[in-house]
Amino acid sequence: MSAESDMEYSDNDGDEYDYYGEVDDCDMDSVDQSKTDPEYFLFSCLRVEEVEKLLNESIELLSNSLQITPSLAKVILHAYEWNAQEIINKYKENPNEVLIFSRVKSCVPSTPGNSNGSHCAVCANTTLLQKFSALACGHYFCNDCWAMHFEVQIMQGVSNTIQCMAPECEVRAPEDFVLSHVTKPSVRDRYQQFMFKDHVKSHPQLRFCPGPNCQWLFRAWVREGARRVECQGCELLTCFSCGAPHHAPTDCITIRLWLTKCADDSETANYISANTKDCPKCQICIEKNGGCNHMQCGSCRHDFCWVCLGDWKCHGSEYYECSRYKEDPNLASDSQHAQAREALKKYLHYYERWENHARSLKLEEQTLACLKSRINQKVMAGEGTWIDWQYLWDSAKLLKRCRYTLQYTYPFAYYMDNGPRKELFEYQQAQLEAEIENLSWKVERAETTDRGDLENQMDIAEKRRTTLLKDFLDININNASSSKV
Amino acid sequence: MAALPRRIIKETQRLMQEPVPGISAVPSESNARYFHVIVTGPEDSPFEGGLFKLELFLPEDYPMSAPKVRFITKIYHPNIDRLGRICLDILKDKWSPALQIRTVLLSIQALLSAPNPDDPLANDVAELWKVNESEAIRNAKDWTRRYAMDN
Ligand SMILES: [Zn+2]
Ligand SMILES: [Zn+2]
Ligand SMILES: [Zn+2]
Ligand SMILES: [Zn+2]
Ligand SMILES: [Zn+2]
Ligand SMILES: [Zn+2]
Repeated sequence: MSAESDMEYSDNDGDEYDYYGEVDDCDMDSVDQSKTDPEYFLFSCLRVEEVEKLLNESIELLSNSLQITPSLAKVILHAYEWNAQEIINKYKENPNEVLIFSRVKSCVPSTPGNSNGSHCAVCANTTLLQKFSALACGHYFCNDCWAMHFEVQIMQGVSNTIQCMAPECEVRAPEDFVLSHVTKPSVRDRYQQFMFKDHVKSHPQLRFCPGPNCQWLFRAWVREGARRVECQGCELLTCFSCGAPHHAPTDCITIRLWLTKCADDSETANYISANTKDCPKCQICIEKNGGCNHMQCGSCRHDFCWVCLGDWKCHGSEYYECSRYKEDPNLASDSQHAQAREALKKYLHYYERWENHARSLKLEEQTLACLKSRINQKVMAGEGTWIDWQYLWDSAKLLKRCRYTLQYTYPFAYYMDNGPRKELFEYQQAQLEAEIENLSWKVERAETTDRGDLENQMDIAEKRRTTLLKDFLDININNASSSKV
Repeated sequence: MAALPRRIIKETQRLMQEPVPGISAVPSESNARYFHVIVTGPEDSPFEGGLFKLELFLPEDYPMSAPKVRFITKIYHPNIDRLGRICLDILKDKWSPALQIRTVLLSIQALLSAPNPDDPLANDVAELWKVNESEAIRNAKDWTRRYAMDN
């Protein structure tokens, strides 16, 4: 066992392991990661009620210190991205400016007579004057029209930014005004749901977990660079900055380009997604059912690489070239047609590897589930305790983390300019890839692999991963320009 | 069909009694929410001399939602696409329930006088309008002659 993992176990109160069967809580992440993990990022997972409480604190603070209704406080907070202190300071200097900026008041002096007397300009009806109302801009319309206007806007998904009905008037309707006109319970509910979503979206510290049907939210304080947040509910890894799946070492702009490109070119790349290939030696059809790309033909025992079909022996770590794309040196002089073909070839090279690791991740997910139940059986059968088998579980989790990073090195490399920095990157990428495949091979055969051997392999793979991230993740380096597009 | 709101009745009456110069808007006999519109190409524009047919439809929640308007006659214009759809702010996010059919038609007429290639709907047309305005105007006149002058 490495010195590092020794530390990790002694940091923990080891006794608790035996009493609490909770496996998920006792992985290696529970130590101080800020020093060892280049992706370390401080954040918290919150439930809807906790976020509501958080928002209400800001609303109450503002409404008390400015002596305004909570509804107005919401409009202002939304406009100022929930920076209550900034609002309070600005309000002391110039309250009018704050009210105009947040569109509580109109920037032009109101022009009365949009509806004159008891005549409503929207429905062209004449009713009692008591049945008219207006926002701070003084544009009066009949209450029936307000109700209809709000209903239409709410059904279109508008909430915080619903405006006055007068042409070119941008004054916003506060919550209490809207709710005093809308009576249908279903529409009121919808309005309040949209309000909450809109508040979260306008709050720089908050973000919804994008997992399907997931109710959790993230809170963090930095909103730039690839920032990993992991959902407590659905375990999805998300980038807090841009909301895409977490993508280190690739930066937020590049991953968007890449994902758009992949979606556009999905037809071209579809044929790659095959799950079977022929053994390069005996041509027998082989199905891939594990995540490891080091394949062994069941028939002729030939060891080969699933990705490039090359002999696995040539994938020895120093000369591992499977991950690197070799450009045609005569390219510049070639015809446009040949250049287009070359561009497609280059893209497919990276896409194939990107896609392949994504599939490996899914397959290894199954391995992890199998492992969990096998460990369970062993413990039940009295073959050791959870703590004895913990390392197997850890190895599978570490494998997942490493391969995830590896997958996201491919878009990074695709958009990188040629040069020494790219060479260094591809060298490290190849090293990482080789160690991950070694680890995957061992994890799939975990129970027959020597424990020390496996732990050694875990250590090497994780070191390769962190080295690559330390050198290339742009939140860790000042000069990230070479990876930007 | 539900009774026609008073607002639509009043607007229709006024459109017939005091029509907007250069524009005719007549409700369909079978559907009072559907208008046959003809806009005369404004003077000193590449559309001068043309008569452009449009259709205008008032949706169920009009005036809370904007009218739906479309050119039926083919027109070469950076803010109008091949299907005749119009890129005009008051038909989208700048719509206000207090605006009227009359204001919409006036805005469309103004759009013919002053095309805005910086906010394009038909990208190829807008592109040409920016890099070679005289050629774009020639095309617009040509289309006006071909599609908007026959009947
Ligand atoms: Zn009204
Ligand atoms: Zn107003
Ligand atoms: Zn989640
Ligand atoms: Zn991001
Ligand atoms: Zn074989
Ligand atoms: Zn290979």
